[in-house]
Amino acid sequence: MSKVEAIQYGDRKVYAVAAFNRGVAEWLQRLPTVWVEGEVTELRRNARWQSVFFTLKDPNDGACLGVTIARNRFDALRLDLAEGERVHVFGRPELFEARGDFRMRALSIERFGLGDHLAALERLKKKLAAEGVFERKRPLPFLPRRIGLVTGNDAAAKKDVLTTISSRFPAARIVVAETLVQGPLAANAMIEALRAIATAPEVDVVVLSRGGGSFEDLLPFSDEKLVRTIATCPVPVVSAVGHEQDNPLCDFAADVRASTPTAAARLVVPDAAELLARLDRTRSGLARGARGMVDRRRERLVQVHDRLRRAPSLAVERKRARLEHAAGRLRALSPRATLERGYAIVRTHDEIVRTTSAVSSGDELEVEVADGRFGARVE
Amino acid sequence: MSTEPTFEDAQRELEQIVERLERGEAGLDEAIKLWERGEELYKLCVGRLDAAHGRIEELARRAESARP
Repeated sequence: MSKVEAIQYGDRKVYAVAAFNRGVAEWLQRLPTVWVEGEVTELRRNARWQSVFFTLKDPNDGACLGVTIARNRFDALRLDLAEGERVHVFGRPELFEARGDFRMRALSIERFGLGDHLAALERLKKKLAAEGVFERKRPLPFLPRRIGLVTGNDAAAKKDVLTTISSRFPAARIVVAETLVQGPLAANAMIEALRAIATAPEVDVVVLSRGGGSFEDLLPFSDEKLVRTIATCPVPVVSAVGHEQDNPLCDFAADVRASTPTAAARLVVPDAAELLARLDRTRSGLARGARGMVDRRRERLVQVHDRLRRAPSLAVERKRARLEHAAGRLRALSPRATLERGYAIVRTHDEIVRTTSAVSSGDELEVEVADGRFGARVE
Repeated sequence: MSTEPTFEDAQRELEQIVERLERGEAGLDEAIKLWERGEELYKLCVGRLDAAHGRIEELARRAESARP
């Protein structure tokens, strides 16, 4: 390592710019090689340049780091990097002495793979869950005054939501905010759109909608800042992103998760036709109930009236039966029963003969036996 | 009684009369009187029910025609 020479002005030691830069550069070279993670932006590659340049950006707070890599080394990696792609860069810090620019000299670059994305998402999910970001679940309004729709300008998802809402509830009012839903700028664009629409007058619910896409396409919907914005949104949020099997983190932070944009539309407005039908059923039930009440009373009245109709004749019959009973007993007590045992009643001049002195020879007699009467004469 | 009894009161009285007649407690003359009273109460109750029924049908018709 060469010694950096200073110029002496009295007791002041002064360095030339080049010497200062060289000194710092040499000092930096002693730092170890490390891996750094970030998103690739401003990639510049020119066939006449010795190096390839790009800026590595921190997706969370936008901090930047310039990176250079030898062009032949870069080409050999065959990465075909696109703007906004996440990478791991292996290298060491470096100072470009001629300009005093601090940067990273890359020795290798690896694309941030699916597994890395999944692991990072899982870590973020655990962290947010531990903070309670996924816990707030508010019920959706029964009938929102206005519905906010944050969506991409891709026709399908937007059209699905709009047509489903207006077919279910034609009077629904919808405010649409079209925004980027894909790529490195999408998360911030969606955050802005969501904030604006959630505070727009009369908006009572917000639907965040995007059609299906690849895992990478849906990554902005797992952006930490977006997820936090959803979790603190002043009105309930319905998340309808991708397909059933996709689970971007915005789904967990939303108040309700819908499997598709169409399902989200069904959640935010009631079906007007079904509501009317239910109301009709309730009303006919009301009339049925009132009629039933009158009918039951009438039935009871008819029954008691039948009993009333029968009651007087019943009373007469009962008295008649008592009368018959008395008559029967009366008859049993009459002398007729005695006659049947062989006795006879003898009368003369309509007087019952009780003694022999009551009759004299030649008197006409009337004899009554059990089955009738006959005449006789005293001898 | 100067005021007309309510439907429920009339129904109750009618039922009491019927029970009394059915038990045969009343004398013949009284039974006839009770029966007459019972018929009177029955007519009153039927009149009330007819009125209620008419009002319900009227309301149902009106609700039906007001359907959007």
